[in-house]
Amino acid sequence: MKLTAFTQLIVVLAVTAWVFILPVQAVAIILALELALLLYIKHDRLTLAAIGALTIFTGMMILLQLLFRSPLNVALIGGLRMFVMTTAFLCLLAATRIQDIAQALVEKFHLPYEYAFMLTTALRFVPDFLVDSEATLDAQSCRGYSNRGNVFKRFFSYLAVVKPLVMRAVAKSDTLALSMELKGFGSNTYKNMKPQRLQMADYLVLLVTLILSTYSFWVGKI
Amino acid sequence: MSEAVIKFKDFHFAYLNSEVVLHDINMEIRPGSFTVLAGHSGAGKTTLCKAMAGIIPHYYGGRYAGDVEVLGESTQGKKVADLAMDLGLMLEDYESQLVSLTAGEEIAFGLLNHGFNPDEVELRTKKALEDVGLPGRENYQLDELSGGQRQRLLLASLLAVHPKILILDEPVSAMDPQGALSLYKLLNKIYQEYKMTIVVVEHNINFVLPYVTDLVVVEEGRIAAQGAFATAAKQVYEQENLRHMLPALWQIKFNLEDKFHLSLGAWRSEDEGLAEISKKFERVVVER
Repeated sequence: MKLTAFTQLIVVLAVTAWVFILPVQAVAIILALELALLLYIKHDRLTLAAIGALTIFTGMMILLQLLFRSPLNVALIGGLRMFVMTTAFLCLLAATRIQDIAQALVEKFHLPYEYAFMLTTALRFVPDFLVDSEATLDAQSCRGYSNRGNVFKRFFSYLAVVKPLVMRAVAKSDTLALSMELKGFGSNTYKNMKPQRLQMADYLVLLVTLILSTYSFWVGKI
Repeated sequence: MSEAVIKFKDFHFAYLNSEVVLHDINMEIRPGSFTVLAGHSGAGKTTLCKAMAGIIPHYYGGRYAGDVEVLGESTQGKKVADLAMDLGLMLEDYESQLVSLTAGEEIAFGLLNHGFNPDEVELRTKKALEDVGLPGRENYQLDELSGGQRQRLLLASLLAVHPKILILDEPVSAMDPQGALSLYKLLNKIYQEYKMTIVVVEHNINFVLPYVTDLVVVEEGRIAAQGAFATAAKQVYEQENLRHMLPALWQIKFNLEDKFHLSLGAWRSEDEGLAEISKKFERVVVER
């Protein structure tokens, strides 16, 4: 069963809303379900690293709240809610290609196509940027760049790497813009793609999401 | 001679806040030709290519005079994307010209933008990948492809719109000789199959010698030589500062012609040259 990006986005948005509405026990159950789902979809090192990084970040958020004198239970519940929300997005990214998400955002949510394209382009240039940064680091090391010393010293010496890297990125973005112009980038890009049609599974999931989201309203009426 | 596919008429150009980089360009590219555009670094070759694609002056701005015609129509007032339907341009930094995440999407990108329906896009994508020797790679992520494969992918994305003219700006500048020869072999195959006009910016004409039909040499923003390869090569040979641009084989050929007052053929390979030399000099020895 493969859900369309639109359905998955709706579910993620619904989960985000539930996190604030539902009691903490229910939120914890959602978290367990999310983690199980995420590890079912993808259980490689990258996914585990993402969960680990998210856990550390959540811990930092909780600490920060405690520093600002929030009660412990408030800090913990806040951290849990954030963790659940972010894990929902991790599930989305693990299950769907970013291109499909971008298409759904334009097609169904009417996001301007420029912003949707930005999503995919940013991802496209991450590997290139890493390669460039390595090359620049090597080149500057040959010219005497060293990352030794205290934090400030290292920060200022790192500018020697950042500056040429930024210049390269700007030059690349200029070529990219020119290339997009040559290829006629515009509103047609997403308009002419094969539309993402909802299947029976999508309708079912959307219906269940709707029922769960409006559950308290129904219970009150009945 | 049928009408030129690209025609420069008294064209001058200067980038914003810069000196004039192209002076009085009068140049024609014949339909169906395989033209090599040569010249020293900074001579204006890339600017000339961008002017052919309509990018100059419409995209970069700047000052210009004269006109550039592509397929009989002036590039003035034409959108760069519309021109790109007839004229594909591969820039030197081809890596940054790739905009999508997978090979299939890269080719589909331009086609979808130009309003082709998804089924047609699928067909053309498949064919274009086959043409450049990357069949079945539609779902490959760009980082799964090598540098050479990425270049072929860009070539495929240009071919997919079936342009009449293909312009490549120093396509082999970062390649080893074997890779360069292989790319030009592929380009020649495409040239033969699609019967298109090809313009290549190349410093090392040795690579394209078997395929080239026409030559244009640019020197300090001016046309120093142009025409059918044999004629233009002779013009280049006569200018001592440009002579080194010619393939070594043709420098030998012109030297021999000068020294022995011979008329030698248009050599495309060393074997061809050697065969003719052996034949001519054997005769000379026999006559003596």
